[in-house]
Amino acid sequence: MRRAGFWTASVLALILLALAAVVYGAVPLSLHDVAAAITGQGDPATIAIVRTLRAPRVLLAILVGAGLGMSGAALQGSLRNALAEPYLLGVSGGAAVGAVCAVALGVSGAAALPLAAFAGAAIATIATLLVARAAGGRADPRVLLMAGVIIGAFANAAIMIALADAPPNRIRGALWWMMGSVADADWTRVAWLFVYVVIGAALLLWFGRDIDVLALGEEPAAGLGLDVERAGRRIFLLSALLAAATVAAAGLVGFVGLVVPHLVRMAGVRRHRTLIAGSALVGGVLVVAADLAARVLRPPAELPLGAVTALIGVPFFLVQLRRLA
Amino acid sequence: MEMPFVFSRGSLFVLLTVVVAATASCGRERAHADASVLDDFGARVHDGTAHTPARIVSLNPTTTELLFALGAGSRLVGRTHWDVWPDSARFVPDVGDGIRPNIEAVLARHPQLVVLYASADNRPAAQRLRAAGVEVLALKTDGITDFVRATHLLGIATGERAAAATIADTVQRSLDRVRRETATLERPRVVWPVWESPLMVIGGGSYLTQLLEIAGARNIYADISAPSPQVSLEDVIRRAPDAVLVSPEGAARIRTDPAWQAVPAVQHGRVLVIDTSLVLRPSVRLGEAARSLARLLHPGRIP
Amino acid sequence: MIRFEHVVVRYRRATGAAVDDVTFSVPRARVTAVVGPNGSGKSTLVRALLRTVPLASGDIVVDDIPVRSMDRRAAARRVAVVPQREENVFPLPVREFIALGRYPHQDVWRAAIDTDDAAIDRAVRLAGVVPLLDRSTAELSGGEWQRVRIARALAQGADALVLDEPTTFLDIAHEMAMFELFALLAREGQALLVVSHQLNLVARFAHQLVLLHRGRVVAAGSPSDVMRASILEQVYDWPIVITRDPAVGAPSLLPLRRGTHVL
Repeated sequence: MRRAGFWTASVLALILLALAAVVYGAVPLSLHDVAAAITGQGDPATIAIVRTLRAPRVLLAILVGAGLGMSGAALQGSLRNALAEPYLLGVSGGAAVGAVCAVALGVSGAAALPLAAFAGAAIATIATLLVARAAGGRADPRVLLMAGVIIGAFANAAIMIALADAPPNRIRGALWWMMGSVADADWTRVAWLFVYVVIGAALLLWFGRDIDVLALGEEPAAGLGLDVERAGRRIFLLSALLAAATVAAAGLVGFVGLVVPHLVRMAGVRRHRTLIAGSALVGGVLVVAADLAARVLRPPAELPLGAVTALIGVPFFLVQLRRLA
Repeated sequence: MEMPFVFSRGSLFVLLTVVVAATASCGRERAHADASVLDDFGARVHDGTAHTPARIVSLNPTTTELLFALGAGSRLVGRTHWDVWPDSARFVPDVGDGIRPNIEAVLARHPQLVVLYASADNRPAAQRLRAAGVEVLALKTDGITDFVRATHLLGIATGERAAAATIADTVQRSLDRVRRETATLERPRVVWPVWESPLMVIGGGSYLTQLLEIAGARNIYADISAPSPQVSLEDVIRRAPDAVLVSPEGAARIRTDPAWQAVPAVQHGRVLVIDTSLVLRPSVRLGEAARSLARLLHPGRIP
Repeated sequence: MIRFEHVVVRYRRATGAAVDDVTFSVPRARVTAVVGPNGSGKSTLVRALLRTVPLASGDIVVDDIPVRSMDRRAAARRVAVVPQREENVFPLPVREFIALGRYPHQDVWRAAIDTDDAAIDRAVRLAGVVPLLDRSTAELSGGEWQRVRIARALAQGADALVLDEPTTFLDIAHEMAMFELFALLAREGQALLVVSHQLNLVARFAHQLVLLHRGRVVAAGSPSDVMRASILEQVYDWPIVITRDPAVGAPSLLPLRRGTHVL
């Protein structure tokens, strides 16, 4: 059956890719080296590479992919728009403003950048909701999307102003962050993103049925007894904050929230609870694969993660477009 | 009465024109002798001996420092925001950035000569300044040879050829001295990170790699032609440097960063802190810079 | 079963009220039809019931409990509404689509409860959509889509069924079949409220007609009482003749062509 095949294939892909991502890198290691290093035996440099550099990185990639995939699936359903994605709703713009301000001001401290990014994303999300409400579209997803685009445009302007006067190194650092990367992964970051993603997943799965009903339309959903405005706002906030957490951890990794739910739907999944779970899995696979590619395609430099996911996303959309037409 | 051809008004006019043209072309010939001296944008360098520019704007920390060293510091009427050596440079008005400078701010200082950093980004600025009637000298100051050449060209443009020659000679000799002193010593392999996120290191295209060679070390990224390429931490580990050279702020971060502990040099405590005020740009103190690096790399072996 | 009591609804930035002091009731075992020209407030009444527009004043009461004080799910268990339009952005298998009708009865923990299957089976049977169960909602024709939506509403297991323009895209056969279904449901004890502009159909099947004009009730009663040329001409602003064919057994309305007005 198609669906059983999908789950097995995805889980297998995740395990294999995660393994590959720990084994491959600038320093060649064998599977045996890796296994030894995980248990704390062998050359201390190898142990350090596996435990401090590669393992947290792979886990962070999986979590980022899972968070973005789930966020995208929930948003597409609740906004009734197959092209919705978390970055359209002010999240990416706001996070970028927060991060760029932190970089431009030269704020130091490992937690400063993620916190600033998260704060920016949260503020932008709330601003989007307020703009939508002021425009009178309490339950209309199109108004929400437009508000998100407006806030995003405003954020872009703010970023450009913040970077106009900054020295070249800071600009490079800001741009690098905006292109997304899991290179700065450490265990603390993995830990708090894990907590975030688990809580986010639990909540989204809890409200998964609501999304099924929301996806029918405003009036049908109301007819089935759903408080459309409240449920829509709830899902929106949950998805946006989940995406914000991934942005805080790894910068802007685009297209994942957009593409992953479609991939899961292609496997025949319809119910949103299952769709969200599947999107977490496929999202993890996608980002781990993208990070692996980012590391091995152009040594000794690393490609930005967001660029690789975009390279995957664009052909995907061309295919989808052809299907529609 | 008819005058002979030579004395008629018309012929006098013609004669005058011919004489003027001849003198002018003589002058041009002399200038042509210096025409082989071109700056780094390919423009001719005007000799400042006859008409020394009295108001100079320097848009590059290296050339600002050089101008002071050449004794032309009093003629400086503008510098970039980043030019803070020597200390007296701080009294020169700040006109903003050196790359894509604010043309209006520069012209507001009424300069006769503007010294630009010869990067492609600055070509439009050079054009606009020339169009405004200001003499422009575009200099590359990336490598050590660039620096020496820049010294000479600045000397020509400001009419301080002799001073320039002295400086160039002194720098060259002090560098050679350090080179000799480190010639027989063991060459540690070093990495020099300059930015954390993304990880950027000094590469082969930077004069610092040349300075390291003089100071008796080898940059593990000398094979990469970019001045500050982006690399992955794993690649640094793979190249197995013997020591890490870094600024004081960078040293604090690297020593406490668990990721950097994967680099054996860091684990063994071989993190060397450089004096950033000395080595941040090519300057008249290149010799000192090389010596300070050499002392850091070979403790107790360099006087 | 459902009572509209002096309901007033105003849209933002509108000058007048869309629904202005409308009072009528929708009893059990009867088909009640709300008719009237475009913009008379018919759909607004449905939206007020759905609570997608707020009531400016008045009450909508279901079994003596005002809707505004009811939990939304509880309200959905008593009244099932089939709105006029529905997008189909994410197609589902018809079976799952209909199963969503059980949402008001389920809570977060259990995605399905015991009474679900029985209710869904009954709904599927009544709406006549058994052969469609394994298809996707994207593959349905206009008529099939309508019936599937009605099946979902029936699956809600509510005592009252409210339909807004249920026969818009249906041909004669399907239209008639739909109204026969409504009549059947009424006979089984349900309260039906049908908003429609198909006056002739409604006249044959409804027990009670409520005629709206510019947000107000201008006539209410049996089809014979409401279907009068004088009233209808005023409301629709068009010359009309009312006939009564014994085979049909209910008044029918015929709009005349302007210029051939026969007195």
